[in-house]
Amino acid sequence: MTSKLTLVVITCVLLLSFAAPAQKRKSAAKPTQKAPPTTAVVNEINTDSLKTLLSESKQRPLLVNFWATWCDPCRDEFPDLVKIDAEYRPKALDFVTVSLDDVDKIKTEVPRFLDEMKATMPSYLLNVSDPEPAINAVDPRWQGDLPATFLYNVKGEVAYRHFGRVDPTELRAAIERLVSSKQ
Amino acid sequence: MTKRSVSILLPIVLVIAAAVAGSGRMLTSEIPAPPAIGSTIDEFNLPDVDGADHALKAIKGKNGTVLIFIAVQCPVSNAYNERMEKLAQDYNAKGINVIGINANSTEDASAVKNHAAEKHLTFMILKDSGNKLADRLGATRTPEAYVLDASNKLVYHGRIDNSQDPGKIESNDLRLALDALLAGKPVEKTEAKAFGCTIKRA
Repeated sequence: MTSKLTLVVITCVLLLSFAAPAQKRKSAAKPTQKAPPTTAVVNEINTDSLKTLLSESKQRPLLVNFWATWCDPCRDEFPDLVKIDAEYRPKALDFVTVSLDDVDKIKTEVPRFLDEMKATMPSYLLNVSDPEPAINAVDPRWQGDLPATFLYNVKGEVAYRHFGRVDPTELRAAIERLVSSKQ
Repeated sequence: MTKRSVSILLPIVLVIAAAVAGSGRMLTSEIPAPPAIGSTIDEFNLPDVDGADHALKAIKGKNGTVLIFIAVQCPVSNAYNERMEKLAQDYNAKGINVIGINANSTEDASAVKNHAAEKHLTFMILKDSGNKLADRLGATRTPEAYVLDASNKLVYHGRIDNSQDPGKIESNDLRLALDALLAGKPVEKTEAKAFGCTIKRA
């Protein structure tokens, strides 16, 4: 019995000693692997194009969310925004997101995060040397703190604004008000 | 639900309700607007990262004071660490004191102290627990700067410069304001905006 037990223990030790380096090799190989291709498309936007996007005549209300991959509350709220997008964009709302990440992340971190979130709304990345004109074009009351979410009526007026992580219930209520009043 | 479970749950529910009601959490939409340029900033008293209280009158510079809302974890604020330290050194020699304010409820005094040591920030940092000063100044983001003249009048409010990337600075707004103040000239651009992290209010 004792010899059988000894044999089992030795076998286990040998198996583990072979398995451990294999695992190490596997994890060591990881960094050299290429990141999977991203499917989300992020378009560059400047202050003028942003102004046009906000001011052009609209058939439906427009929801705009400003975010960045480095912004924790932005990342936290994104699943809620994706749900709201799925709920309202097919029937009554236009929704775009604008990333404030550095332009060198337009094909990497930004679409990677959007893919992770399964986000399909049109997505932009603001590429400007001076952010102030863009901030003022969006809303003069905005100081530039992220995240920031704005709901524009069909006339292009800000009907609802929220700085910091959105409250989905409050945002839904604002959308409902606008959609039901057909403004 | 049995009487016993009610007697256990009720105090818990009451404690949670009291905590929520008493938190006085301010919605971002309720944050007061920043004071107008030219208005006097009233005296305040805040503790440093070791808990010692400091009054504005005791720490202000003889030619002016810069208050900068900063953060431990905000990447934008952290992108400015070296620039803020250099600013403090450059202008301290000219009679302007730079004071950092951490108003994030998510970052306690010891985290702020450790961060300052790690990032070699030697200027004074005060902890604004409860956001009293942030609310009074209408501060919403990090980094966000306020320049007071020698008599505590607000002469500039806003960003440090236009870019998180030091290689892309085109408009050194805070330094321009300080140079104008020292030269006895009116500050040309009194307000400037940039993107930053939201101050995490209590």
